[in-house]
Amino acid sequence: MSESALPMHARPEFENRELDVAQNVAVERKLTLIERISNINAVRKLTILLGLIVAWQGYAVIARPDPLLFPTFTATAQATWNVLADGSLIEKAWISVEVLLMGYAAGLAGAAAFLVLAVSTRIGRDILSTMTAMFQPLPAISLLPLAVLWFDLGIPSLIFVTVHSVLWAVALSTHVGFMAVSDTLRMVGRNYGLRGIRYIALILVPAAFGSILTGLKIGWAFAWRTLIAAELVFGAASGDGGLGWFVYIKGENLETPYVFAGLLTVILVGLVVENLVFRRIEIATVNKWGMLR
Amino acid sequence: MASRSIAERSTLYIRPEFENTGLGVAAIGEVERPLSLIERISEIDPVRKFSVLVGIVVIWQLYTVIGNVPELMFPTFSSTAAALIDAFVNEGLLFNIWNSISILLIGYTIGIAIAAVLVVLGVTTRFGADLLTTLTAMLNPLPAIALLPMAMIWFGLNNQAIIFTLLHSIVWPVALNTHTGFQSVSETLRMVGRNYGLRGLPYICKVLIPAALPSILTGLRIGWAFAWRTLIAAELIFGGSVLGASGKNAGGLGWVIFQNQMDLRISYVFAGLFAVILVGLIIENGIFRNVEDRTVKRWGMQR
Repeated sequence: MSESALPMHARPEFENRELDVAQNVAVERKLTLIERISNINAVRKLTILLGLIVAWQGYAVIARPDPLLFPTFTATAQATWNVLADGSLIEKAWISVEVLLMGYAAGLAGAAAFLVLAVSTRIGRDILSTMTAMFQPLPAISLLPLAVLWFDLGIPSLIFVTVHSVLWAVALSTHVGFMAVSDTLRMVGRNYGLRGIRYIALILVPAAFGSILTGLKIGWAFAWRTLIAAELVFGAASGDGGLGWFVYIKGENLETPYVFAGLLTVILVGLVVENLVFRRIEIATVNKWGMLR
Repeated sequence: MASRSIAERSTLYIRPEFENTGLGVAAIGEVERPLSLIERISEIDPVRKFSVLVGIVVIWQLYTVIGNVPELMFPTFSSTAAALIDAFVNEGLLFNIWNSISILLIGYTIGIAIAAVLVVLGVTTRFGADLLTTLTAMLNPLPAIALLPMAMIWFGLNNQAIIFTLLHSIVWPVALNTHTGFQSVSETLRMVGRNYGLRGLPYICKVLIPAALPSILTGLRIGWAFAWRTLIAAELIFGGSVLGASGKNAGGLGWVIFQNQMDLRISYVFAGLFAVILVGLIIENGIFRNVEDRTVKRWGMQR
């Protein structure tokens, strides 16, 4: 390319005479009380929450939709208080959480067994990647008809689907995490003479903890959703269900405020697990270790 | 251990020098050796994975044939394969798949539109950002399927109820991931955009979206996974009633599984599960992987 093909476009110099010294502008100014309050995050979010509640109550009172279809906020609060006071809601929530914990623990154990195999042998790695590729896209809930056939109606089939929803998500993301552990760290481990379980526990797990946690979170989310869905199915079948069953049966009986109370509890359990359990673990490990900002 | 004094612990232990006389010159070791045919074949990844697959199938078939497992509990592989082919050829399984996918697509499109509006609000105004974070924090942990009883009361037993629950499973993960992606766009890129005089929508489309595409894609993927699970669950639970299933190919995939289980045609249940896996694999690997290859991987944002 010749040099003449690239002409320089230089703008002519000019002096902007219209710009004056800034006048009547507060260079520094104290924030007013309202501004300072509205700068607090929690206050703003609480206001929004209050606004939503007011909108809900206002709509329900003014537009007067059928209370069976859309209860007022006060009715919902009343219903929530009722089921909380007589302990039935907490009991249902505990049934769900108990099943979830059992399924989660069993799923983690299964994932751990697969991973130990996958880390130590090549055939194990092949088996793991084939199985996860096959089962990861399969929604656990679609196994429920088979689970009911094999284990009958009841807790065991709930646990079976929960295990399925946890196992593959955790195994996949942990395995990906293990593969991404840098060779330097691996060699440090081998230099210390670590092998087998100790190599995994002391080198691979801490190094891949970020993606293990991601896997645990996804596994929890899938498991919680699967469990609620499964309990909705059991609604028709067994009397001693958990939260999903509570929501289902209240919906069937058209006790809509209680359905909302059940939904609120489902949200609450989710928030507690996410913000108290996982957030804590994250702060105590990967955040502290400087692996995640 | 704990009782040892600090001075004792901090002593340097120097091993005495020694010469290992036991090491001879390597006598017979092969320095270089061509791999045998079997070794070379087992080096090929697809071959190994395929043989794992074949192994699983063989174990399945042997277990069901030798163990004499009743067909009602666990069908043989061969009858499952026959059922799968039969379902595709004679029972119009493709129509059921299409029923599921078309509902999913409608829900997905509307869900993304809603999420986009929320996120645009969240990016442009502080009130929008607060609204978005409050709503997602509250509604993201709520499994969409739990809303189905409410949706059925509100919309009746039809597709609208399912689409409503699908929306719920898509909007929050997509909005949450997109918003956090936008927030982590580097200040430099933002200033480049502002320097070009970009504002409002062009600013979002040309600067924020490309810069935050990896987390947007993650959100889309999670949204798809939740939506697919929700749809199958909804069809499974309320399938017959919700879809007012009349005729053979009225319901979706979940309904097919449910129906076959009720009729105790277990090999057809397995065939339905295979179809679910197949659709999942196609969307995962065919669509999302492709989009990823063409955008974030090509742009070097993700290895």
